[in-house]
Amino acid sequence: MFKPEEMAKIDIISLGRYKDRLLTYLHEKGVVEVREVDVKLAQKDAPNEFYRKAASYSISISRLVDFLRAHRKEAGGGLKEFLFPPEKEKRTYRYKSIEQLIKDVEAFLEKVEPEIKAVEGKLNATQTEIERIKANIAILELLSVLNIEVDYLKSTDMLEIVVGTVERDRYRALMEDLKEVVGQRFVSVSKELKDKYLLVLVFLKGDYEKANPVLAKHSLERIEIPEGTGTPRDLIIEYNKKLREKEEELEKVRKEAEWLSEQYYNETAFYHELMENERDKATILSNLVRTNMTFALTGWLPKKNVPEVVEGIKQLTENKAYINIKDPKPEELDEIPIKLKNPKFIEPFEMLTEMFGVPKYNEFDPTPIMAFTYSFFFGFMLTDFMYGLIVGIVAAILIKGHRHLRDGTWRFAHILLFSSFFTMSLGIIFGSYFGNALDLAGFHVPRLLDTMRGALTVLEIALAIGLVHMFIGYTLGFIVKIKNGELKDALLEQLSWMLIISAVVLFVISENHPGLATAAKGIFGAGFVLFVLSELKNGGLAALLIISDFFGFVGNWLSYARLMALALATSGIAMVVNILVQMIWGIKIGPLSIGLALGVVLFIGGQFFSTAINSLGAFVHSLRLHYVEFFGTFYSGEGRKFEPFRAKREISKLELDVEA
Amino acid sequence: MDPIVYVSLGAALAAGIAGAASSFGVGIAGAAAAGAVAEDEKNFKNALILEGLPMTQSIYGLITLFLILMVSGILGGGFKFKNPNDIDNIIKSAILLGAGLTVGLTGLSAIPQGIISAAGIGAVAKNPKTFTQGIIFAAMAETMAIFGLVGALIMIVTGVGF
Amino acid sequence: MEVTAVTGILDTTLALIFTWVGYKTTRILWKYTPYSYPNARIMAMEARLFSEQKFNELAESKTLNNFVINLEDSDYRDYLANLPSYDAESIDRALDKALAGIYSLMFKILPKRVNPFFRLLLQEWDVRNIASAVKAKIRGEPAVNYITDLGTMPQKVKAIADSKSMEEILVILEGTEYEEIYQKLLLGEIGVDEFETQLYKMHYSKLLEYAESRKDEEKVILKEFVRLRIDKLNILTILRAKAHGLKAELIKPSLIPGGTLNRKTIDTLLNVEDLGMALAELDSTKYGEIIRNVREEAERDLSVLDRELERYIRQRLRELTRFYPLSVAVPLNFLLQKEAEVKKLKAIAKLIEDGIPPERIKEIVGELT
Repeated sequence: MFKPEEMAKIDIISLGRYKDRLLTYLHEKGVVEVREVDVKLAQKDAPNEFYRKAASYSISISRLVDFLRAHRKEAGGGLKEFLFPPEKEKRTYRYKSIEQLIKDVEAFLEKVEPEIKAVEGKLNATQTEIERIKANIAILELLSVLNIEVDYLKSTDMLEIVVGTVERDRYRALMEDLKEVVGQRFVSVSKELKDKYLLVLVFLKGDYEKANPVLAKHSLERIEIPEGTGTPRDLIIEYNKKLREKEEELEKVRKEAEWLSEQYYNETAFYHELMENERDKATILSNLVRTNMTFALTGWLPKKNVPEVVEGIKQLTENKAYINIKDPKPEELDEIPIKLKNPKFIEPFEMLTEMFGVPKYNEFDPTPIMAFTYSFFFGFMLTDFMYGLIVGIVAAILIKGHRHLRDGTWRFAHILLFSSFFTMSLGIIFGSYFGNALDLAGFHVPRLLDTMRGALTVLEIALAIGLVHMFIGYTLGFIVKIKNGELKDALLEQLSWMLIISAVVLFVISENHPGLATAAKGIFGAGFVLFVLSELKNGGLAALLIISDFFGFVGNWLSYARLMALALATSGIAMVVNILVQMIWGIKIGPLSIGLALGVVLFIGGQFFSTAINSLGAFVHSLRLHYVEFFGTFYSGEGRKFEPFRAKREISKLELDVEA
Repeated sequence: MDPIVYVSLGAALAAGIAGAASSFGVGIAGAAAAGAVAEDEKNFKNALILEGLPMTQSIYGLITLFLILMVSGILGGGFKFKNPNDIDNIIKSAILLGAGLTVGLTGLSAIPQGIISAAGIGAVAKNPKTFTQGIIFAAMAETMAIFGLVGALIMIVTGVGF
Repeated sequence: MEVTAVTGILDTTLALIFTWVGYKTTRILWKYTPYSYPNARIMAMEARLFSEQKFNELAESKTLNNFVINLEDSDYRDYLANLPSYDAESIDRALDKALAGIYSLMFKILPKRVNPFFRLLLQEWDVRNIASAVKAKIRGEPAVNYITDLGTMPQKVKAIADSKSMEEILVILEGTEYEEIYQKLLLGEIGVDEFETQLYKMHYSKLLEYAESRKDEEKVILKEFVRLRIDKLNILTILRAKAHGLKAELIKPSLIPGGTLNRKTIDTLLNVEDLGMALAELDSTKYGEIIRNVREEAERDLSVLDRELERYIRQRLRELTRFYPLSVAVPLNFLLQKEAEVKKLKAIAKLIEDGIPPERIKEIVGELT
């Protein structure tokens, strides 16, 4: 807690023939972050032929997976899938070497790919055919206004026949130009359509050469005459028949695709995952260096994992590896990857810290404090027992459903669950159950404070909380800086504000105890002097910033007023819903008490909407208070997040064959 | 004008301007959300949350509307400041108008918030890691509306009282 | 105070505030709303632009068949689906179609008030096509190899390429804005190089005119873009001419007015002795930095500078997108990036077809970035 996980640096040099297995071992283990080896002597490693194949198979299999997924019978998705994602079965693959894996994939592809491609090809061909028929029907419909047999619209040995459309305002000019080039030696039939002319032009073969540029000049759009004989209307009937046949065929091919999907989807997805992971492995290779016989790798890993990883490497390489474990040096401070370390129940909150940025290795991890204050702020802004209950129930369901995945949703639900406890307790204090619903229903609800009527008191509480929150932030910064030996910064940047905040508190107390006023003034003066000094440290011109920075602090403090504003918003909306329901509650049409039915619907819908919108507000603004106001006091978040070299396995499992 | 006109104007403008601004803000962000989702459905969740941010101003407007209606007695009981010749009535109704205006006008921050959200949605579509930053940037614009609500509340409670 | 005085003050304040607020709000809405949908969509598309790693993977393809397979998880997939054969030429055409698809998407989603600018950009392909087709005709080469399937009038361009005589081209171009310039070429009033310059001159003056007619950010962005483009053309024209030792009077008519370089710089540039001195002269301009980096190479081969200037324009536009995320800069920047990507893909396809080893392809394509 409060400190990130201790890290160690690892250097490995071993024989080239163990490289593949070693990398696979580390990839599956997923605890080492691989870094670039900075050695000029040796040559950078690059993917070999097999890794290249893996990359290209990964893409081609992903195509197959897409195709099969599109034709799966039950598509999944929906709310149930989101709440309770099914646990996916993991299939095991015994890994010998990348060569063997590629061979296995090739064998699989050889069997499956032609089958899938054949169906896909058939599907595409049928679809194209249908499109073509439809296009032809459209053309025929256009031609049907002319009522000329299509045979007459095709060029012959002697005559060149052009059918096309031309824009309305170009028609006249086109005809004139044509007359100019070929004289009277052409025949035209035309029909006026909406904004263009349909044209049939007949030229002598010899004249066509001359006419062609003119046609281009006026942008005549040519029409390809469909196959067949008879009038367009007759042909349309014929084509429609063809269309129906093809559509039936399409349905049949779809069935085939569904069958294929049932047969091969899981297996294809399995191989796809294997290939994706190989592709991922290949990208790390450029960080390694090699000579003819050996290779070297460097990286970082958590200290607690060192023994097992070393043991694993030794076993894999039959002890033919040089392994060097080093503690981080002070000059490597910016290099050390940060893995946060917290007790299990706070762990989900690491997500919030990571979203902003992790601390540096010698800095303080604010997650434990945030776990408390974040949930508290969330609760303060939502302040309703029933809303808290709803959020809590939803969170609990999500936690249960995503238990096996431990994904983002799971962590997020944990945060919500924590927050819902605070929401419920604060809801009881403020006596808010769906806002003032119980009061309106005639019950007497005990409460310490009313958000609406006691709004100013709530505002004072919110600002007091703000002061405490910021004071904690400055104190933390002060401690960290003292520990890291940055005494001057600690005094100027943190202590100044700590003193000013203490002074503000004393001022407030001194209203009842006048004796404290002088002490408050003294402390405020000391703090303010330190603050001015910290500004002047950056040069004379920075003095101009004194005023704006001081009011920046005041602004940050007042920003905590949002705690009260959002609390007010929650009870406000709830109240609006309740009053509306109360208004329509008594409406009756004859014996039907329609108001009752409408009221229940409105109440449930309105309160759920209110829960959703206010939770969103509470979530966002609680986060903002931490990121902007709280972190602004001490936290940089400039650390480098630990990103281990890790395989992504959802439906596959790799077993490393050590005997090989 | 009659005091009732000011009071109801105050209530109407608080909810009306803030609501209109919110709808513009959500509209701008919503168009961006539609664009991002058109290219990649994975953007849906992030875009939805960012799109919802400019909605809060309308809530502040609505709350102020109810507060004004309550303290002036329009909601529950009768209108308290009926007599137009009493200067006290005029002042109190003017304070309520001011409170409503404060919330309504600061509620206009929903429009720039929508613009920030729209830009944020674009940024998230390009790089999902910028999601949190986008939210924080958009939440910045809301500060003004929050100050407006706090100010209006102080005006109502101290100037008129329950 | 009188009751009427109080109400009077209140009423005036109300009126004033509302006029001002209404005006401001409308302005803001008018300015940003039209860009919110397209820009978000375009940025989502930007996320799918190829990374360096993807280009490396493509360079490793070995065969064009693999190259196409490697593109199957990208937006190019639909365009590459029905290739007649796996050769660089048909891949080229498919990629051009993909680019044309991007253009038509832009027309569809961008606000009407900047749409014409993108149409003008598409017209630049017409200019390019006409110039290259006519040049090829004059040299007696098959013009089909020099045209791209892009632009506002691909059919006419194709007809030009297929035409049998120079007069036929005039018939095809009749009624278009290129007619007059072509007539001059036909009458022998201008040479073929000048024909090309005139086409570009006309085109860029149209672009600039359009940019000038816009307001606010749009004007700033579009103008900057056009003027950078003009600079690039002018610099290259001058440097090429200097490399061939041409006199100032001969170069001058080929320059396009409206760039960011001032008169004086251009005049000095025109009158220097040789290429080396011209490059030195440019050192004091904003292009100094990029020229300094490639100076030695550029003295041998000016295409390096061409690439560097193009890169500078892209870089500048990227900066503008950061300043104005809800403006025309985003689509413009995307279009340039997409064009660069297509260019690279074409180069890779060609190199693979020629049997160049992957390492070398990576190198060459790396230089293109």
